[in-house]
Amino acid sequence: MTAVTARAGDPAAPVTATATTQAIELRGLVHGYGGPPVLAGIDLDVAVGRVVALHGPNGAGKTTLLRLLATRLRPVRGHARVLGHDVVRQAHEVRTHVATLPVYGGAYGALSGRENLRLGVALRGGGEDPEAIDRALARVGLIAAADHLVRAYSSGMRKRLALARLTLADAPVWLLDEPYAALDEQGQELVDALIAAARDDGRTVLVASHDLPRSLATADAVIEIAGGHLRVMARPTRAPAASTSAPMDGEGAA
Amino acid sequence: MNDLHAVLWIARKDLLQEARSKAVTVATVFFSAVTLGVLAFAFGENPQLMREGAMGALWVALAFAGVISAAQSWQADLEDGALEALLAWPVPRAAVYLGKLLANWGLMTALGFLLLPLAGGLYGAAIGGDGAAPPALVVTVLLATIAAGTLGFALIAVFYAGLTANLRARESLLPVLMFPVVVPILLAAVRASNALVGSGDLDLAWAWLRLLVGFDLVYAVVCLVLFRFVVEA
Repeated sequence: MTAVTARAGDPAAPVTATATTQAIELRGLVHGYGGPPVLAGIDLDVAVGRVVALHGPNGAGKTTLLRLLATRLRPVRGHARVLGHDVVRQAHEVRTHVATLPVYGGAYGALSGRENLRLGVALRGGGEDPEAIDRALARVGLIAAADHLVRAYSSGMRKRLALARLTLADAPVWLLDEPYAALDEQGQELVDALIAAARDDGRTVLVASHDLPRSLATADAVIEIAGGHLRVMARPTRAPAASTSAPMDGEGAA
Repeated sequence: MNDLHAVLWIARKDLLQEARSKAVTVATVFFSAVTLGVLAFAFGENPQLMREGAMGALWVALAFAGVISAAQSWQADLEDGALEALLAWPVPRAAVYLGKLLANWGLMTALGFLLLPLAGGLYGAAIGGDGAAPPALVVTVLLATIAAGTLGFALIAVFYAGLTANLRARESLLPVLMFPVVVPILLAAVRASNALVGSGDLDLAWAWLRLLVGFDLVYAVVCLVLFRFVVEA
């Protein structure tokens, strides 16, 4: 089974791959903001249960790709599917299967950490479960600050709160935008642990990050976005050999 | 989830934020009180003119305060990407709109109820009518008129505030876009209010109130149908 496939360094040379169950499927995906396209017809398959890291310089399109998958942008051309659901035509279904970690945390400053989590759980359709919220807060080290207003949180604490909300969402696909940003070493290790736990739970995780060493340590594949195209830049040895058949650095199939 | 629960959670969130920041309350109460005072000064010392202009002044104050309220209601959502996160959740877009509408309408209606006796006192207008109809009934219909008028106003204001929330020139664009649309609401509300306060003419007031409710229904349907295009990518 193919875990990750992408076009090679030459965008005109698509990598053929097959996969039985795809969590994420992109076909000829194009998106831009008026200038040259940020994503210029990319193809990508990510199998269920895989962790894939996205790397690339600022403005390369990492966040754009995550926002497309989170239904917050519409592709100019091409298709994107999450667990078989089209991000445009079946946006609501996609949202039920996806949990996002926004780069700025996405919490309401005038609410406490606990209130933000209660809101998130309620709006995702979950029932009242104060113990689950307390567990999530404790896991990210925020239990002591749970009832403080988020506007008094540091940026690292806001990121931890977003991590707690992510774990409460119980979604099969995680889209993480710069999860290590603003976090101290302990917080970064927490992200690694959450990603590892997500993999163990069978979740699919797409991580946009600039921390290549951590990506190599946690991901099944590291994909670079540059010039509007994707290429698989690394397959960490820890990933099962059979899981990936994408080329490395455009040099050919592994 | 139950869509009604989503509506209530979003309204609760907005009201909780407002209860803590008081940003809308302070700005709208102060602004509308100043508006009523300035207009009273402009009418001069003609008691008849003052009485006849009382409800018009009330609705002018409410309309300008409503713009502030609607614009502020989206402001907190834009900070730290909170709206982006909210819209990535499986929440029906209509629930987002209705939740924000509910909170905004509640605040505007409370402001209207607060301003009504202030306008009556300042302009010498008899809020209970001139005695031709039972004062309690006149006041009740007047409060219903304020509730229906602020609902129509909030329907438009929340919609357009959402539309302009991400624009740099939102403060100037919001009133330019919404006031032409909201004119029928304001006209019907002013007419119904004037009929009650001036002469206690319940029949005339009912006629305008029915028209006002009709406008509310039309705007509610149109805004609910179109709102997802406002917030979707």
